[in-house]
Amino acid sequence: MTDTVQLFVTCIIDTLYPETGEAVVRVLQKAGVKVSFPPDQTCCGQPAFNAGLRQQARMMAIQTMRAFETYPGPVVVPSGSCASMIRHSYSELFIDDPIWLPRALALAKRTYEFSEYLVDRLGVTNLEASFEGRMTYHSSCHLLRGLGVDRQPRSLLAAVHNADLVELPNTGDCCGFGGVFSIEHPEISAAMLDRKIANLETSGASILVACDAGCVTNINGGLHRQHKSQRAVHIADILGKT
Amino acid sequence: MMTKVFHSRIRESLADENLQSALDANAERRISVRQDAFASLIDPQGMRERAHVVRADVVEHLDRYLEQFTIHAQENGMVVHPAVDAAQAIKLVLEIAGQHDARLIAKSKTMVSEEIGLNHALEKHSLKVIETDLGEYIVQLRGEPPSHIITPAVHLRRQDVGRLFHEKLGLPYTEDISIMTNAARRILRQVFLDADVGISGVNFGVAETGTLCVVTNEGNGRMVTTLPRVHIALMGIERLVPTMIDLSLMLSLLPRSATGQKLSVYTSLLNSPRRSEDPDGPQERHVILVDNGRRDVQASGLREILYCIRCGACLNACPVFREIGGHAYVNLLGKSSPYSGPMGSVVSPALFGQLEYGHLARASSLCGACREACPVDIDLPKLLLRVRTGIKANQAESNTKPNAPGLLTVGLKLFTFAATSPWRFAVAQRLAGIFGSLAAIFSKEKSWLRFPDFSGWGYSKDFPRPAARSFRDRYIKKVESLQSTNDHAILPGLAQAALSEIKETNPIPASKGIGDFEAELIALGGYFISCKLDEVSHNILETLRVHGIDRLMVWETPYLPVGLIEQLTKAGILISHPTVETQDTNCLLRAGLTGASAGIADSGSVLLSGGPGRPLIASLLPEVHIALLWEKDVFENLSQVLQRKDVKQASASVLITGPSRTADIEMALTIGVHGPGELHVICIKSE
Repeated sequence: MTDTVQLFVTCIIDTLYPETGEAVVRVLQKAGVKVSFPPDQTCCGQPAFNAGLRQQARMMAIQTMRAFETYPGPVVVPSGSCASMIRHSYSELFIDDPIWLPRALALAKRTYEFSEYLVDRLGVTNLEASFEGRMTYHSSCHLLRGLGVDRQPRSLLAAVHNADLVELPNTGDCCGFGGVFSIEHPEISAAMLDRKIANLETSGASILVACDAGCVTNINGGLHRQHKSQRAVHIADILGKT
Repeated sequence: MMTKVFHSRIRESLADENLQSALDANAERRISVRQDAFASLIDPQGMRERAHVVRADVVEHLDRYLEQFTIHAQENGMVVHPAVDAAQAIKLVLEIAGQHDARLIAKSKTMVSEEIGLNHALEKHSLKVIETDLGEYIVQLRGEPPSHIITPAVHLRRQDVGRLFHEKLGLPYTEDISIMTNAARRILRQVFLDADVGISGVNFGVAETGTLCVVTNEGNGRMVTTLPRVHIALMGIERLVPTMIDLSLMLSLLPRSATGQKLSVYTSLLNSPRRSEDPDGPQERHVILVDNGRRDVQASGLREILYCIRCGACLNACPVFREIGGHAYVNLLGKSSPYSGPMGSVVSPALFGQLEYGHLARASSLCGACREACPVDIDLPKLLLRVRTGIKANQAESNTKPNAPGLLTVGLKLFTFAATSPWRFAVAQRLAGIFGSLAAIFSKEKSWLRFPDFSGWGYSKDFPRPAARSFRDRYIKKVESLQSTNDHAILPGLAQAALSEIKETNPIPASKGIGDFEAELIALGGYFISCKLDEVSHNILETLRVHGIDRLMVWETPYLPVGLIEQLTKAGILISHPTVETQDTNCLLRAGLTGASAGIADSGSVLLSGGPGRPLIASLLPEVHIALLWEKDVFENLSQVLQRKDVKQASASVLITGPSRTADIEMALTIGVHGPGELHVICIKSE
């Protein structure tokens, strides 16, 4: 078993949800690994990449690669879309770059999404977490279709004590975030989010769990605007509860 | 980039309740029927991967396959015309029409013709052009472009069509879809018979044989490729497959993806024009190979979009298409692109210009539902992202100018400046935290920020207040205490909780036979009778008696059991052997009797190969089609049947899978549009 993992906390969790970042550290430690935080990390570059600004995306990707290169071991990312960015899109960014492509592939090879790392690498599902109430799971796009990760977070949640885990109708439908898409096309994004919220209401859950702070921010933003009582949380927030 | 027109079209679509309910119904139904249809395949993922490889090979070696296709098509007697662009393709159609003094043109659905603006050009030259696919006919009457590449009238409700038919065709207003469909059948039947030229698209061209494959459900594709004197097929140069085996792979995927069918009702396999001994078929068959920018796309970073087989699955799966519909995919001037949805957001800028259409690719959350639905596994999110870089045809990704809006670009450049230094990033986070704290002082809401509508985010969502101290700030102090209290201990019992491997096993189906054929045919609404040879005439007479029919168009004796025609004549049935010259009178005959050279158990299909004594119109024009099939000729799958000699040798063949049908109005299944509404297969037991 690996001794130390390198945490790539992601810019959203770092800036908006430091408690979630701490929950990630707690859960990883509980699962038996040491956590290190390479200090030069910032953002994986996905916002610029999604906007079509490849030059800027490359600059941020290089920043990220450099930040992790001197720290060996698995890189754990509590976000499906940031993990997918590193695993799949870095090679697209450096497709014609003989210097950076091998370095991008090397980082991609040791990068794991948080729930994927816990279940597939550590073989852990039961973290002795406890949660009172009804919750449901939202399958984030890049986690589900980009990384093919779905049973891992589900098995982690199924092991949470006392929780009543129900299925979210059309759980794999996009919540309407899509990074810059939600800013460039607020009307379409809003319509997609309304469907997600309607499905959440149908599920009867008070808590929606996702593995991506982007989805959490988007869904919560709509729930708060519409004065709904349900809330979206990151999976680490649930798993870190005892 | 100015996309005001696009945004206003989006808002109109979202506010249009009729459209919203039509789009909802489309998405829900199409996604579920596609998933069901794929569930009947043994290895759908493997087939997608193979199909991807086949399409990649074709696009990689496009010139070689085009040459091979052209040589074989010419050997077969077709006339092949390359067209570099829209203007040349239009000129070719006009020339061919002019040579035949054509006045009326019947068209089946071809997206290439939408792409090159063919109808408009022909009308300018005083040619009358009528679309014959029910959905296309409806949008043509409305003066609109199609709103979906497979179901052109998907945006309309039955009431819209009822009013349209009342206003344009003078029919009494009705909301009964079968009455509307029947009216269209009656009107368009005359168009098929009167048309001088038939124009169709092509789903696949087969390079090794020079065969054109055209699939339709209504039967209009068969009509326009069979009845008029001249058939012109418009084909994008990339629509090739190397072999018949590859064709069977594609045909296993295309109808499943498009409409959830195992096979479309009519799969036409066209090799040549009418040969001297043939009873039917056009005198001339032309293929126009339309480039119109495709070679430039082949040489660009968007090449993979040329793998597309135009099934429409990505449109149906796309959450954005579901909100805005096809007509909202407009260029800078507000003109709808013929290609919408995820594939359209790549094809349109690739073929018609980054400047005019590049903004379409920005209307995607990159959720990947399109790629998951794509039967040839095109990485659509990757291509959408490449369009966003501003890539143009003939261009690799480098040296492009991103098509992002100016303000967003400025914001992201600032963000990049901050995020390329941990020090600057930490300062920016600190500033965000201070901004959040200040906002909290001046607002009742302590944990949320409300941005104005124009910010985009503020339109429908609030934003969480940035933390006063970021994770990295807190981490430096906290992490050591966290680590020391937990001491990296592994909790007891954790190791045992590892998931057991989920192994998926695929059942190996028993070899399929006549029972499966029967079940499939009946599920499609066809009739199945199994009998001995000496009971065949009785069963035919019984079917005719039920309908009160006493006249029958039939194939000639060598292709029907010996003595059968005599028995029918003796029983008082008037027999005619139709040819294309007598098709007007044949049209009055309500039943047709044909043989069938093979059956497919997988899909309940029958294969009819035309030729001397075997007029294909006997299976197309009448209301009732009776096909005689020997039990020994039933094969398990499509691939076995497509490799038969008669498919390669006949001027034209057709695979028939159930009665003619449409679902173009509100997706309500309606039987008997242009082709027969009843299909009876009499299966003759092998002695």
